[in-house]
Amino acid sequence: MAQYQQGDFNAAAVLIAQLSPQLHRFFVAQSGIRADADDLLQETWLRIHKVRHTYRPSDPVLPWFYAIARRVRVDHYRKSSRTTARQQALEEVSRIAAPVSGESGRLDDIAALLAPLSGGEREVIEMLKVEGMSLEEAARATSSTVGSVKQKAHRAYKKLRERMSATAFRKGHSGGLP
Amino acid sequence: MKDEEIDDVLKETARGPHVLKAETLQRVSDSIKTSLRPVRPMPPTWVLASGLVLVCAAVALAGAARAGFYGIEKMDLLERALIFSTLIVFACVVGIGLVHEMVPGSRRRVAPGALLAIVSGLLVGIFALLFRDYQTSDFFSAGIACLLTGLLFAFPAALLAWLVLRRGFAVNPVSAGLVAGTLGGLTGLAMLELHCQNFQATHVLVWHIAVVPLSGALGALVAQALRSRAS
Repeated sequence: MAQYQQGDFNAAAVLIAQLSPQLHRFFVAQSGIRADADDLLQETWLRIHKVRHTYRPSDPVLPWFYAIARRVRVDHYRKSSRTTARQQALEEVSRIAAPVSGESGRLDDIAALLAPLSGGEREVIEMLKVEGMSLEEAARATSSTVGSVKQKAHRAYKKLRERMSATAFRKGHSGGLP
Repeated sequence: MKDEEIDDVLKETARGPHVLKAETLQRVSDSIKTSLRPVRPMPPTWVLASGLVLVCAAVALAGAARAGFYGIEKMDLLERALIFSTLIVFACVVGIGLVHEMVPGSRRRVAPGALLAIVSGLLVGIFALLFRDYQTSDFFSAGIACLLTGLLFAFPAALLAWLVLRRGFAVNPVSAGLVAGTLGGLTGLAMLELHCQNFQATHVLVWHIAVVPLSGALGALVAQALRSRAS
């Protein structure tokens, strides 16, 4: 990151190659739509490039990236929520009609698994359990306190537990799927 | 179902590398290549926070110099020491909070709203111990004048604080506006304590301290309006 700040393109390329899959997965887990995730990834890197001077080498790097990614996602959501109901309806139709590529199957699983959670809970679980961040890093990335992250994770686990138990119960009653 | 089992399900679902199309990565690389040049990282938090405190102190002193140092002249030594050391400590804490709001991925110990509530509550407690004159003459007329004067000085202080941190990037503009407003409010309050010689407890507790939460709320509203306009 320090080399990227010094204008080294190779360092930038390495960062893009290493972090883009993580950031893309983060966006897919949030929205469940791969096309949106592609756009958000591009927008995030443009924003990262614009504010790269705000990273300080003494700070952990992942929370810095994710904090910017979150902001991009929020801005995207705000913009898209202002479109007309007609446009939204048309977009929904095209999304539903779009074929799901084979490589996105696993991501769709994550999005489906985390679907019952609120946006905040989903991103905390994604950061803690999928990306492997610590509580401190997740708190930095979400601009919140460690206590708030713990609380969201606790609520998320409660919802996931209820959902998974219900699914297991249904499977048990329908003949026990593998 | 146990938490460990949920962990296992999440890990199993997310297992394996997530492959992105090569053209997506190439497009990202190309988009930044043309404008890649060296940048200077932002200074450490203590440097920026010190700059903020100095700017706020300058605004408060300039305001009191113009209007007169009647308040501080009327105070005894204990009152001066307690009030201004408290204001300096709070300005440092809020200044650090504002720097953290403007640097993505910073550690946040207290939420901005909670910080505003804690600062306002502690100010009420400390000022209630110091001011014991319980008369209420000219409560509204004198009070509104002080409130408006405090807000008048809060605005340039918040604006200058924003200028000090202009290279920063607020991941949550409304929170950043709230903290900048709180810092401006503390500046307005400091100016009032330097200038105002009305030591009636209700006057100070209601109208002087109200500058802090009101300024914080105004800062959040202005940031919200700016964000709405930008998006």
